[in-house]
Amino acid sequence: MKIGRVLKELLRGAGITARHFFVNMVFHTLKLFGVRTKRRGAVTIQYPEERKELSPRHRSLHRVLSREDGKPRCVACMLCVTVCPSECLSVEAAEDDDPEVQKYPARFVVDLSRCCFCGFCVEACPVDAIRMDTGEIRLASYARSGLDLPLEKR
Amino acid sequence: MLVDVLIVLVKVVLTLTWTLLLALFLTWVERKQSAVMQDRIGANRASVFGLRLFGLFQPFADAIKMLFKEDFVPSFSQRFLHWLAPAISFFFVAVTMVAVPFGDAVRLFGRRIPLQVADLNAALLFVLAMLSLGIYGILIGGWASRNRFALIGSLRGAAQIISYEVALGLSLVGLIMVFPSLRLSKIVEFQGGTLFGFLPKWGIFLQPLGFAVFFLAGLAETKRVPFDLPEGESEIIGFYTEYGGLKFGLFMFADFLEVIVLSSLAVTLFFGGWQVPWLGGLKLAPWAVTVLQVLAFNLKVFFFCWLQVLVRWTYPRFRYDQLMDFGWKVLVPLGVVNILVTGLVLALR
Amino acid sequence: MSGMKMVGLKLDGRTVQAPEGTSVLKAAELAGIAIPHFCYHPAFEAEGNCRMCLVEIEDLPKLELACSTVVREGLIVRTSTPSVLQARKDVLEFLLAEHPLDCPICDKAGECKLQEYYDRHGLFPGRFVEAKEKRDKKVAIGKGLLLDRERCILCTRCVRFLRKVTGTGELGVFERGVRAEIGTYDGVPVDNNYSGNLVDICPVGAITDTDFRFKTRAWFLKKGPTVCPICSRGCAVVVESVTGYPLGIDERKVFRIKAGENPSVNGTWICDLGRAGRRDIDERRHVRVMKNAVPEEELSWQKALADVTARIRAVPGPERSAKIAVVLNSRLTCEELVLARRIFAESLGLGKISFADPKPGAADGFLLTEERVPNARGVLQSGFSPVLPDLDTLAAAEVVLVFGSHLLEHFSEEAISRALAGIPSKFLFSAHAGPLDRSAEIVFPVAVPAEKSGTYVNIDGLRQSFGRAVEPPPGVVPELEIFGCLANGLGLNRGEPDAC
Repeated sequence: MKIGRVLKELLRGAGITARHFFVNMVFHTLKLFGVRTKRRGAVTIQYPEERKELSPRHRSLHRVLSREDGKPRCVACMLCVTVCPSECLSVEAAEDDDPEVQKYPARFVVDLSRCCFCGFCVEACPVDAIRMDTGEIRLASYARSGLDLPLEKR
Repeated sequence: MLVDVLIVLVKVVLTLTWTLLLALFLTWVERKQSAVMQDRIGANRASVFGLRLFGLFQPFADAIKMLFKEDFVPSFSQRFLHWLAPAISFFFVAVTMVAVPFGDAVRLFGRRIPLQVADLNAALLFVLAMLSLGIYGILIGGWASRNRFALIGSLRGAAQIISYEVALGLSLVGLIMVFPSLRLSKIVEFQGGTLFGFLPKWGIFLQPLGFAVFFLAGLAETKRVPFDLPEGESEIIGFYTEYGGLKFGLFMFADFLEVIVLSSLAVTLFFGGWQVPWLGGLKLAPWAVTVLQVLAFNLKVFFFCWLQVLVRWTYPRFRYDQLMDFGWKVLVPLGVVNILVTGLVLALR
Repeated sequence: MSGMKMVGLKLDGRTVQAPEGTSVLKAAELAGIAIPHFCYHPAFEAEGNCRMCLVEIEDLPKLELACSTVVREGLIVRTSTPSVLQARKDVLEFLLAEHPLDCPICDKAGECKLQEYYDRHGLFPGRFVEAKEKRDKKVAIGKGLLLDRERCILCTRCVRFLRKVTGTGELGVFERGVRAEIGTYDGVPVDNNYSGNLVDICPVGAITDTDFRFKTRAWFLKKGPTVCPICSRGCAVVVESVTGYPLGIDERKVFRIKAGENPSVNGTWICDLGRAGRRDIDERRHVRVMKNAVPEEELSWQKALADVTARIRAVPGPERSAKIAVVLNSRLTCEELVLARRIFAESLGLGKISFADPKPGAADGFLLTEERVPNARGVLQSGFSPVLPDLDTLAAAEVVLVFGSHLLEHFSEEAISRALAGIPSKFLFSAHAGPLDRSAEIVFPVAVPAEKSGTYVNIDGLRQSFGRAVEPPPGVVPELEIFGCLANGLGLNRGEPDAC
């Protein structure tokens, strides 16, 4: 009978959720009384206190790498600006005294409120000057201006 | 005379406070229980001076937030009606609690005080009437929003609630046939004995089908998840789309109150109300009996609240035609069958 | 090309006609076949030093230069045989052997011929393991030009330009063989009015301009062709601007002006003054209506203009000729002038219409003319006879409308403000901020020529229409719209739907 099957499945569903409830409650209660168990009542990571380790490929806040002498590695070719799909990068080039360097970024700003963290800028960079490996993911700000990050100063 | 008024007043205040408190913490229960069911933790950040208490302060935080939100009325809508709708919804749900007996009558200073705000002789009808008046809140809310989606949502809600009202009423007819009274205190008293010597003489055992129809129809009345087509917050737009802040809070509060009302009614009508089974043999002090009764009633109510939250976080929403089919083609016939069978059994006895 | 003798030749199997005496390269171009080349430039005689344009010609044992082979009747030319393609690859490999991989920091990247041809004809992996030769990367050769000898492919276009076009010949090729390099004679810098063209004709990024250097990248530039408003030659120019982040939504920035192509006026050259005209487009601009020298954020030009109309109307008809004075200028387009004539001369019957123009400068004998306005012929053709305003008659008027701020070039600031001091209604329509703003009651921001579409008549009577090269800033409109609104406000039908 169809009705019977439906009822059975309905009850089975309620059984599963109820089982989760009771099983998890047991572990929660054990934890409350200080009993340490390998299994936990919840899979939640309590973010600000607990941090999950980021994957090595994780794309976080950008950084501009330096040369050995401390100058930015970036040559301000603006390929990242060109490739950026959300138009969040702006680079202003300036003339370097060293004729071998010639061009360096006087301003290298990423507008995090526009950035979609696609990583295209990293791919496009011909001199491997920009990377997104800082592991910094706390990027919130109380003001828009706090999201315009001048990377050339970091 | 004055004392009588005072007693009623105290009872009103106590009942209202207790119910509201229950509803308030039901929001917390809902969040935490759903979290535990889903292997999560749930809201646990609200704290007072660093004291978190599993997020028990969350309802207060929510309430404070809603109080301080902008009192927004959509342009072209009527401010008065826009306010009236949540007030009606809230009032007619809250007022049903006056008929629910929390315990047997107690003797205090030589007076017999029933632990019930009003011992109405047609309490069952009163409860049903008040519950169906809640529709006006939905309809006015949808209308006053001046938003066609809200209006359609409110019409969906009204149609759903009226449909299930029928099944709800029918499911209780059998019960009235078994316990020949509309007085809730009487109905609870009737459930005091035992069946076959061991089963408590609760409505559920006398009217299993009636309870099933009652509970399912009642779930539909609360407009919560498997039956949440009036609001359908995640996909379809519902009647309180244009509400925010305190007014939305009232609607939401009315929803949680409905959960408590349904639990209280289910307990009162089918689970012996304040009756504690198998207690006849024990000789207890009168105050202990009263405490036990109130405790028993509340525990039963808690269980049904838990059950309703479980249902809400287990099942997906009905499609609208399924909802109507279920109401009219399943619950109403079952209610009629229940009446017939009950009548047959009563006649043959 | 009528009247010229045509010869028939076969190009890649197609029979094409070309005028006698043209090169195979030119004939192929006319037939729509592009033959890559660095040193060849249509303005000079072919030199054939880059070897990029090699093609196969039947009955000749070796590949021939398309740029210096003159077409003959019955010539059979093939431009894409395997040997030609291989030759191009080989030439590119030789050029790139010493060419630095500077593309990320090179201003030419994006419009560089070497880049383009490598992409189209090269795409070979580098075979050289030796380090590239070091040369001077930043040699100042005068007038803000920088020479990068590493990037130079020695096509000698610059040398030939300075010898053939300007006749100044400041640059030459020094040393021989691998040591050959471009240089100035005894350090005498390039100094002529056409030096900016060196940057345009350099096929690679060897000569760059400090005015544009590192400011942006070529592929961000939006090109807007227009006519140069600096002198009455009317050269074709291309205004190159950038929009988008980090500029605001209505903002644009003009980065350079390059030469456009117009064989009947300027060929492919423009003077340095025309290039410097980019400053006029972006710098010192009015973007708001100013009232008593205070910028008004809220006041739109339409509202302010309604005030002007009301003041004009308040002057009784018979007195208008004496009490309303208008100062126009010869930078207005023909369309604007015609409308101005219809309003001020024909409808209002004003006698006091004068013209204040930039002062004439010295002509340089090539493109730059003495007149420093683009539309002096247009003024005459529109029926005006331009005379310089007389400050005393200006001072006698009650309503004065001044278009442009060139009064300052003829009179001292004090004299003008003294003359205007007693006038109750004085309005200035100017694109740029200047000392005159203080004397005017309301200053209207107007568009510069690059932001207009219209027509100029050049010194030879050539009528040239042009479109908007860049969008004007929000709230700034060409005089044409202002005249249109004035006409509407004064109840004149100008026969077209209006903007206000």
